[in-house]
Amino acid sequence: MTEYAIDIVKVTKRYAEHTAVSDLTLRVPTGSVYGLLGPNGAGKTTTIRMILNIIAPDAGSIHIFGRPSNDPRITERLGYLPEERGLYRKMQVRRVLKFLAELKGVKGSDADKRIDEWLERLSLKTPEKDWGLAKIDELSRGMQQKVQFIGTLLHDPDLVILDEPFSGLDPINAQALKDTVVDLKRRGKTVIFSTHLMDNAERLCDAVCIIARGEKVLDGTVTDVKEEHGQRNIALSLEGDGMQGVASILRDTALVRRADDSNRFFEIEMAPGADPQLLLRRIIDSGASVQRFEMIQPSLHQIFLQKVGAQGVEEGMSGHG
Amino acid sequence: MAKLWAIIKREYLERVRSKWFLIATFFGPIFFSAIIIVPAWLASRSKATSDIYNTTILDATTSGFGHRLAINIAGDSTNRSRLPEVRVVAPSALSQAESTATHAVMKDEKSGYLVIDQQTLAGESARYAGRNATSIADMAEIKGAIRETILASRLEKVGLDNSRMKEITFIPLDFSTERITEKGRAGSGMASVMFGFAIGFLLYLSIVIYGQTIMSGVLEEKTSRVAEVVMSSVPTDTLLAGKVLGVGAVGLTQQILWIVTTYVLLQLRAPIMAKLGAPAMSFTLPDISFGAGVIFLLFFLLGFIFYSSLYAAVGSSVNSESEARQAASPLMIMIVSTAVFIQPVLLNPTGTTAKVLSLVPFSSPIIMPIRMAVTGVPPLELAASLGFLAIGCLAALWLASRIYRVGLLMYGKRPTMREMARWVSYAR
Repeated sequence: MTEYAIDIVKVTKRYAEHTAVSDLTLRVPTGSVYGLLGPNGAGKTTTIRMILNIIAPDAGSIHIFGRPSNDPRITERLGYLPEERGLYRKMQVRRVLKFLAELKGVKGSDADKRIDEWLERLSLKTPEKDWGLAKIDELSRGMQQKVQFIGTLLHDPDLVILDEPFSGLDPINAQALKDTVVDLKRRGKTVIFSTHLMDNAERLCDAVCIIARGEKVLDGTVTDVKEEHGQRNIALSLEGDGMQGVASILRDTALVRRADDSNRFFEIEMAPGADPQLLLRRIIDSGASVQRFEMIQPSLHQIFLQKVGAQGVEEGMSGHG
Repeated sequence: MAKLWAIIKREYLERVRSKWFLIATFFGPIFFSAIIIVPAWLASRSKATSDIYNTTILDATTSGFGHRLAINIAGDSTNRSRLPEVRVVAPSALSQAESTATHAVMKDEKSGYLVIDQQTLAGESARYAGRNATSIADMAEIKGAIRETILASRLEKVGLDNSRMKEITFIPLDFSTERITEKGRAGSGMASVMFGFAIGFLLYLSIVIYGQTIMSGVLEEKTSRVAEVVMSSVPTDTLLAGKVLGVGAVGLTQQILWIVTTYVLLQLRAPIMAKLGAPAMSFTLPDISFGAGVIFLLFFLLGFIFYSSLYAAVGSSVNSESEARQAASPLMIMIVSTAVFIQPVLLNPTGTTAKVLSLVPFSSPIIMPIRMAVTGVPPLELAASLGFLAIGCLAALWLASRIYRVGLLMYGKRPTMREMARWVSYAR
């Protein structure tokens, strides 16, 4: 087994109006769960499409399990769930799944057996009702999402690529997806997903890469990334009144570089060289009742905001992919 | 190859299984037989109806002209029921008799009345009034009978006897037509024109229907994002080829079913025509050699590839059905403007228009088979037409595959012509 499931070296992709991905280098270790994070329009989808050989890079190289990404044998080891989902609406569920399996080189009888297993596993096939015989557009949205998961995983891929997998999922399917990711990792598969939901990434990923405006901002294991960005953050919870006074303290740039205000909970990034003790003293002096004051590792969300900046996020909102 | 096969299989089976396919396959032959049988039926309608027997002849000639005319109208003196009623009237009582006859027609007792007088005897005029006055065939028949009667009475005056007269005036002319081509005589002219029209119409219909089928299929894959999943498994060229071949196979299946069932229906046309009250027409399908059949097939396939690949490109470049209809209008114009020329080409299959249109790739798949059906085409012209069409196909495929692979991944606004030109230049 090669050490890297994905080895991207100095890849650039330009379109007429803009550069979607610029000089990107990233390595995804085999068997890891890897998060590709970035605001909308950062180049995540373009990167994923290049990994899948749907589009070719203008410069640089991409290797999957040690082989060039345009090697036809590689595609059968990849599973892909695109960001916006849909299937042939007028087609029977089983036939759609069989078609997708055939495109990945799974033989007919083998495909039938696997489809049965999966339909039962995701309770689309019960003794009372076999949704496999229904047409796609007779299924609820949640069920269609399940069918799409099955289509992604039916050929038992070694590398699973999920583009914004949590968008539009109901809580039950979201949990099913998380369970599936954990299960895949346990079986030695590599999972990459792109998301802008930092909470999910933080909980699921072994390693992450943050990209913005087509360039890599940082990458590494989640632990390394957090350590690198120091224990400069403070979690603060308040009780009762006294918010006003605290708010003005938090605006003091000599002390606080950035505060993420969630009304009763704050995640505070200290200004360089500032003393957390001084901050605590001033908050108590302001008359606020402190419930929690803790030195914490910054969350990925904080790191993301710090590195990409709110402006980057806003800018990206209008773009796509 | 296995993946290409999977795509072809999906395109083919999903469409052949659809209700729409069954309906079209069933109604097609009925429609095509109708195209052939209805004109024959209408032609039989253009013979005079039995209305002409149910008339009154107001004879003011005072020479017994009316009785002879009645026999000529009936065409058969032994059949009493066909003999129009003859009323001999004095010229002075004519207007009275006419109003009585008008009432009879109004009450539907008679279909009309004919007024003959001295001027009729002189060959100058006669009058008819009735419900069937607008029927060209009925009026022609009556007029013919009057002429015949006048001619007979003139011949009689010259001194010809009755039996000689019948001999001279009886001309049961059956006018049949036959076409001659470079290859010699080739069956009835009417039949080959109808056959040529059927071929042209069939090709036109298939290209429009299946071109649009491909377009909406591509659009569905794009808007549902299935395209992305498929593209991560197979190269886009394979996907495009699979679609064109799969849908093309559906078209071919349908045409074969159409042709076979239409042929069977035409073999059974005698009872059908009898039901419609028309005499069975003698009708020989033009002799189509095996070679010509293969060439028709080749034109269909190449024409289909030409248009369907362009339709696929259009489908990939837009985001909704309404945009697609708009963007496909240049293709529609190409096809419809070709269809407009079907009739002129049928009428003059060796003219310059026909020759030029059968060489231009976008019109040749429809025009050339029509020319082949109605006239002989020199082998050199045929080869040139096929050659140009094949080159046209390659160009269309090249262009389409480039637009297709970029277009499928582009969402948002519809691209301008210039943007699409730039897509073509993208490496991948």
